[in-house]
Amino acid sequence: MTTLSKPTKKPSPLAQSAVAFYLQQAQPLIDASRDLPLGAFRQSVAERFAQQGFPTRRDEDWKYTPLNAFLQTHYRLPGVASIDFAQVKRFLPPFAVMHLVFVDGYFSETFSDDLGALPEGLTIESVKDALDFVSGHQALMSHESQVEAEPFGCLNSLLFDDGVLIQLEQNCILDRPVLCTYLQTQSEHANTTRNRIVLAEGAQMTLIEQYVSLSDELNAFNNVVSEVELAQSAQLDQVVLQAIAHSGMHFGLQFVEQATQSRFSSHYIGLGAAISRHQNTLYMRGEHVESAQFSACLAQGNQVMDTRTHTQHQACWGVSRQLHKLVLDDQATGVFNGMIHVARGAQKTDGLMDNKNLLLSKQAQVDSKPQLEIYADDVKCSHGSASGQISDEQIFYLRARGIAEQDARRLVTQAFLLEPLESISSAPVRDWLAGKLVQKLNR
Amino acid sequence: MLLDIQNLQAQVEDMAILKGINLQVNPGEVHAIMGPNGSGKSTLSSVLAGREDYEVTGGAVDYDGEDLLEMDAEERARKGVFLAFQYPVEIPGVSNKLFLQTALNAVRQARGEAPLDMFDFDQLALEKMKALEMSPMMLERSVNVGFSGGEKKRNDIFQMAMLEPKLCILDETDSGLDIDALRIVANGVNALRAPQRSFIVVTHYQRLLDYIKPDFVHVLYKGRIIKSGGFELAQELEERGYDHLIQAYQEA
Repeated sequence: MTTLSKPTKKPSPLAQSAVAFYLQQAQPLIDASRDLPLGAFRQSVAERFAQQGFPTRRDEDWKYTPLNAFLQTHYRLPGVASIDFAQVKRFLPPFAVMHLVFVDGYFSETFSDDLGALPEGLTIESVKDALDFVSGHQALMSHESQVEAEPFGCLNSLLFDDGVLIQLEQNCILDRPVLCTYLQTQSEHANTTRNRIVLAEGAQMTLIEQYVSLSDELNAFNNVVSEVELAQSAQLDQVVLQAIAHSGMHFGLQFVEQATQSRFSSHYIGLGAAISRHQNTLYMRGEHVESAQFSACLAQGNQVMDTRTHTQHQACWGVSRQLHKLVLDDQATGVFNGMIHVARGAQKTDGLMDNKNLLLSKQAQVDSKPQLEIYADDVKCSHGSASGQISDEQIFYLRARGIAEQDARRLVTQAFLLEPLESISSAPVRDWLAGKLVQKLNR
Repeated sequence: MLLDIQNLQAQVEDMAILKGINLQVNPGEVHAIMGPNGSGKSTLSSVLAGREDYEVTGGAVDYDGEDLLEMDAEERARKGVFLAFQYPVEIPGVSNKLFLQTALNAVRQARGEAPLDMFDFDQLALEKMKALEMSPMMLERSVNVGFSGGEKKRNDIFQMAMLEPKLCILDETDSGLDIDALRIVANGVNALRAPQRSFIVVTHYQRLLDYIKPDFVHVLYKGRIIKSGGFELAQELEERGYDHLIQAYQEA
């Protein structure tokens, strides 16, 4: 998305020490594949990471997302805790899914559904298994997405050792969602996952990702990179629920390639983590491509929540829709950054991006930056952002009808926060997510 | 007596608006409060409904044997005070149904009645909406969002019909209404008139009063009631305006 400027700045000792630490963590991975293409790839990424390092607040894209709290802890790589199935089961939603479980960043065959008994046309493989092949990592990665230009993408390429590869064949339509549960069980642990989702022509599925922690006191670090490829007329409906412990770290990067007439919809629900950042980059390459990006985030205490989208309209008749909502209480910080980019030839583009933020306390703050960059002359694009407090008039109106003040505030806040979920077509999925948001709101 | 206002004084941001209002309302009576702009009509409605922007600086209000000024807005609503707003408020994302069911059950709970379930609520709501010529679709829509001026006022009267208050205060409910909407709103109010229910109708113009015939008419000027009378006072104001009353008051 954005290339960091050459590091003219001198990194802080804290940042230097973190860079050295992660390079050291990567060494066994590099050694293990020394004579293979993967080893060479990691080596080049290591060199880039050593030079690029971590961003500071002087980097425009990280100005409002301070990383000090993240840099203070060194998150180690190896080791998967042993847990029992009951601890996983409590995260299952009340509807039928195909379930894949990752514990501390690694695919768990024990807790996941049998990959040998999947519906016809669906192939699921762990990245760990794919890496066993000589050029496995090449099949995993699209080289156009410039993952390594992003600091956490670079770190992900350096450290990833597992994740999931999902492929759906031509015209296959899945009747149940695939649910990936990423479970953190250990503190000071880096969970680095790399996913690739490929839908062939006319294929359709729903993918739900949930990020959760075994206990509320964990401080673990999620670093997720997903690459999605949608062939002609394919359709992916995606939900990302980020609900890890409030002391944890979550960085998610997603790159989506869309061919002609494909449809991509994404709903991000942000509840957990001390610092979280969820970023979509969409390459709407074909004609008549549709995309929808929605998010609902609720930040309390000292949480920092950062949501960003980069939507590239590259061909004619593309339609993109976005609504991003943030509710901020206490001393929480919110960031929204959205860019709609319309290429020269992308005529008849119809792009709409809206960001709305509700501040429940005087100490909470939000920074919003919606942007348009348009190089075509026959397009319809708009963006908007509004931040405000609950209207006293609304509260008085509700109270004047007998509703207690606290209930009135809850009613208005809840209505504000749940709006982005309205576009989820599956009622059970929508209700499940609404329940999570309301539960946090009422806590 | 349902409502007894004694020497009520109120200010907003250090500016005295109400300067000693006296008004007594018995069950079943309809009182009209008229007056020129800036006379304090809306302030009186707001103070009675419990809006916190206004500071009561003197006097007393007894409602049904209790001190009204001691209660917060929701408590007043639960005890049967209803304010129909001059500008009903839009609440995006909250459906009329959820809003009204929450309100009705809060009021019912305060009255010691069991909450209404979805089925009973729907039945009651549809019945009341029909009388107000409202589409059942309005229940599913967000509160007042995208409603026309007339629809908003009708929605307020619909809420009044559902909550069955004892004291209904209509704050310039006629403002911004065309003649058809005015008729529907007035019919809705008339249908609610009952021996145990009183009304305070605040209005600038007489035309609403042609439909809702008040028992008493009071003229408010600079924070005081300067003249009270029967319905004929409203007719006199229609013909001669406020000026002669104000002049007579200033000379006195």
